[in-house]
Amino acid sequence: MTNRTFYKVGRRPWEVKGHPDGLQERKRTRVPFTRRHWLKWRDSHNPKNLQRERVLADKKPLWWAIALSLLVIVTPFLPNSMISTASIFCIYAAINVLWTLIVGTAGIFSLATLAVVGVAGYSAAAANVYLGVPWPFMLLIGPLVGFIAGAVLAAPSTRLDGLYYALLTMGVAEICRVFVVQLRALTTTNGAITQVDSFIPEAWFLQRPGLLLGFAGAFCLLLGALLVWRLVNSERLGLLLRASRGSREDESFCEAVGIDFRRARLQVFVISSAALGVVGAFYAMYYRSISPNIFSLDQLLLLFAMMVIGGLGRAEGAVLGAAIVTLIDKGMIELGPLRIILVAAIMLIVTIFAREGLTGARDQFRDFRKRKAGERRAHRTEKGGEAMPEEAVDVRDKQELYYRRFNKRLRDRLKPMITPELIAEHKADPLGHHSDALARVLNYFRRAEMVDKYVIMRLKDGEEAYRIMAVSGVRGMPPRVVDDKEYQALNDAYHAVFLLRVNDLLES
Amino acid sequence: MDLGLVVYALNLAAIYALMAIGISILWSSVGMINMAHGATFAISGYAAWLVTGALKPVVAATFGKTVLASGVMAAALVSSALLAGALCGAVIYALAFLPIHDKPNYPVRALIITLALNIGTVQGLLYFFGPRNQGLPKIFGFGRWEIWGAKIRYDQAGTIVGAAVIMGLTLAWLRYSRRGLEVRAMMQNAEGAAYSGISRQVTALPILMLTGALAGMAAALLSQTIFVSPTAGVVPLVKGLTIALLGGLGSVPGAMIGALLIGFLEAIVGAIPFLGQRYVMSATFAFIILVLIVRPRGIGGLLDDTRE
Amino acid sequence: MAHLTRYSLTSESRRLILKPELLQINQLSAGYGPLRVLHEIDLTVRAGERIGLVGLNGHGKTTMMRAITHMTGWQQGSIRFNGVEIGGNRSQGAGRRTPGLVKMGIAVAPQGDAIFPGLSVRKHLECGAHTKLAWRERRQRIAQIYKIFPALDPLQDALVGKLSGGERRMVSIGRMLMADAKLYLIDEPSLGLAPKISKRVMEALWALPVEGAMIIAEQNVSLLTGRADRIVGMHAGRMRGDVGHVELV
Repeated sequence: MTNRTFYKVGRRPWEVKGHPDGLQERKRTRVPFTRRHWLKWRDSHNPKNLQRERVLADKKPLWWAIALSLLVIVTPFLPNSMISTASIFCIYAAINVLWTLIVGTAGIFSLATLAVVGVAGYSAAAANVYLGVPWPFMLLIGPLVGFIAGAVLAAPSTRLDGLYYALLTMGVAEICRVFVVQLRALTTTNGAITQVDSFIPEAWFLQRPGLLLGFAGAFCLLLGALLVWRLVNSERLGLLLRASRGSREDESFCEAVGIDFRRARLQVFVISSAALGVVGAFYAMYYRSISPNIFSLDQLLLLFAMMVIGGLGRAEGAVLGAAIVTLIDKGMIELGPLRIILVAAIMLIVTIFAREGLTGARDQFRDFRKRKAGERRAHRTEKGGEAMPEEAVDVRDKQELYYRRFNKRLRDRLKPMITPELIAEHKADPLGHHSDALARVLNYFRRAEMVDKYVIMRLKDGEEAYRIMAVSGVRGMPPRVVDDKEYQALNDAYHAVFLLRVNDLLES
Repeated sequence: MDLGLVVYALNLAAIYALMAIGISILWSSVGMINMAHGATFAISGYAAWLVTGALKPVVAATFGKTVLASGVMAAALVSSALLAGALCGAVIYALAFLPIHDKPNYPVRALIITLALNIGTVQGLLYFFGPRNQGLPKIFGFGRWEIWGAKIRYDQAGTIVGAAVIMGLTLAWLRYSRRGLEVRAMMQNAEGAAYSGISRQVTALPILMLTGALAGMAAALLSQTIFVSPTAGVVPLVKGLTIALLGGLGSVPGAMIGALLIGFLEAIVGAIPFLGQRYVMSATFAFIILVLIVRPRGIGGLLDDTRE
Repeated sequence: MAHLTRYSLTSESRRLILKPELLQINQLSAGYGPLRVLHEIDLTVRAGERIGLVGLNGHGKTTMMRAITHMTGWQQGSIRFNGVEIGGNRSQGAGRRTPGLVKMGIAVAPQGDAIFPGLSVRKHLECGAHTKLAWRERRQRIAQIYKIFPALDPLQDALVGKLSGGERRMVSIGRMLMADAKLYLIDEPSLGLAPKISKRVMEALWALPVEGAMIIAEQNVSLLTGRADRIVGMHAGRMRGDVGHVELV
């Protein structure tokens, strides 16, 4: 092929495209022990130059990898206070991701997330302090307690819906708080369990190495939470639940086709509660203590603000929101109560303008653009009149639509040109040198599609007898006879075809 | 059960009912769970505190220590609280209703916006006024009556009577006035209301202002018993919300019955010696959870017998 | 669809032609999102005219009613009502202008009735009296509606949510009649009703002593023939045939 420049085709000229060698076989590495691939590549051919192209269809893993590796690389160089902020961010983000699993994937509006964390944390800490269980076992006690708490909490969720369940879980959190504060054994510390053993050696606590170790742990926790998210939300359970989300009809549909979405919901709830139990045990170890503050409404509202700012029901929203709110809440401590006002203001503005938080803004914009485009197309069809908008959505080659519109306009322009004089001119000389108007009309006729195109058939070899036929346009299907008129001169036949075509043009 | 306990229960019930009815009416007519109800409550309390504080010297100078002076103070307190509540309602209308009321996801977004307003207001009040409790003048005066051996404080009696009067007026307004009819029509079918010439934007403003004024009234009455503080709104909000839910969101009679039930429950639990005030909240929640598990649509579900 | 064989202008219709135009719809298109339901509709309604709008399910009858009251997703084109332009381009805010249009004098009995289940029949009818005059003399008007629909009289204090489908339809039409409108839009008055009851509802509709024009959307042409001044057909979102008095073969 010569060295010609091909301009990119399609609506996404900015997309980075790979050009793999056309002779090479396509190969992708799989995640070990599974049939999944690491990245979702889409192979295609450029319709213009037929070169092989390779596009990353889903760029989310890339963004995740960049953001998380940035966090790991940058944090060790930060001052001590910022390191602890980063660790707290990781813990909150992990809680949020698991909460998103409950609210978004399972669709249960639970406010008992922190209560589960707190109950598991308290149990693990109590086991450590009062029973002398060594700290690695706390990470087993935590999920166990979380599992039980989740199972207990999940039971009424099948019966109550929406707000009623939210209220119930809020009540559970309050009951937990009161219970802990009232405990006789803890009155000296105001309900807190202190002196919890931890993976951070006591000498390092609140020192730089201890903080870094704590951050490492918190980061692993976040990775674990994201793994749980991936395994639950994008695998079987998540798919089952995705079918049932949306409306009552969807739920009825699921029941009709045998998807037990209630069971799936409970399973997701219990799984994420167990995971929250791990977070609770970690929380107790990270701070070496746990206080009833974790059950308080303020803390819950702060977490809720994170989810809302990032976007309810999305893992990336949960993490982004946690980052923003933690930065404001812990990073700008000198602002005092103003920082909560700032969080509230961000929450307010984001909610007024964005349908689904910051991470949903892109989709919202796309929807808006799509809606506008659809409406514009619907408005426009009045002028084109060729493709109904419903049809226009289905036609894959959009050029077809423009071609139809062009033809329609051309016809509209040609119609007034057809006058008795024009027809007389053609009758006088079908093949000769024509006027501009007639030349234009004939040009249009020549470009017509093969379907139903008129042709002239000589009836017998050597004889001057002609008939007019129409081509079927389908290979192997013979032309059909239009009428049984016979023409004795070729010019008459030419003119008859012309008249038929003019008739079709005027009728269209 | 002695009479004092009954009066105490009624006192609680009156204030809870004021909050819960506001939340209930708002949910069914405007479709919004108003989490900023607590903020309205706190702001009204502070407004009344500021106004009465400013008026005190003036009133003392003009009327001296007469009955008229305390009457003027009472009027100033109640009217300023009502006005501040109504203004808060207007602000909520402008922020949480008008920009998004015909956009997708409206109920959840309205809830989040009002929640943000609530958090912001509490922190803002803390920032401006500090965490100190402020006492309001006692409009009903100090003292108590002795009826059948029970002691009834003036402020308790005043609260019960005041709340009953305000609620009666509200219900009568809803029931008999033309605007009330429009509100009720909108509560039941928004499209039908539009075809009857009832505009959602126009009707929502008075509803929000009314419910705000109800919260303001609750603040004025409760300030006779407790102090005004930035976080004063949180407990009435939570109580109002739970009672509205108990009553089956949207049902006004359900909310009133719920308020009575919870008022008596709290009074009784608080009076039991070994349980005491500390377990009041837990007992309330436990009771509501129990009711909701038995009747998922709350008390209102029992009262409603029309078919869809 | 029925074959429309013979049509001629009756003397009644001829008299109507002299009346002023009440509603002029010009090149009205409307739809929901990317879906376009109405295609450049033209229709003129004169004061006092009763128009039957016929057409199959899903061919745009209801959408046209909704477009006149701004209840569709988007619309464009001109609608002149009583000399005031109420159409125009609009791509969002379904229902925002509807109450205003109702106050201008368009009364609607929508499809599915849009009733208030928790209100009594009397209160329900009062809701319809949105003008000052109607509100002042609501008692007389309600009494009049009981005269038109005698079945409603014993049900005055019953909740509308407990009524049967036919009674609901009567309540819905009664609410529409409470204020003096210039244009009455009635969507599928016979939908979902037993034939006997739907006939009775239609009889009541024809007997209404209203001054304004009336558009009745109906699938069952036989309920309209002989009574409507004009019958307009709708097919695939376009006007098909605008004929005078029609007789059915």
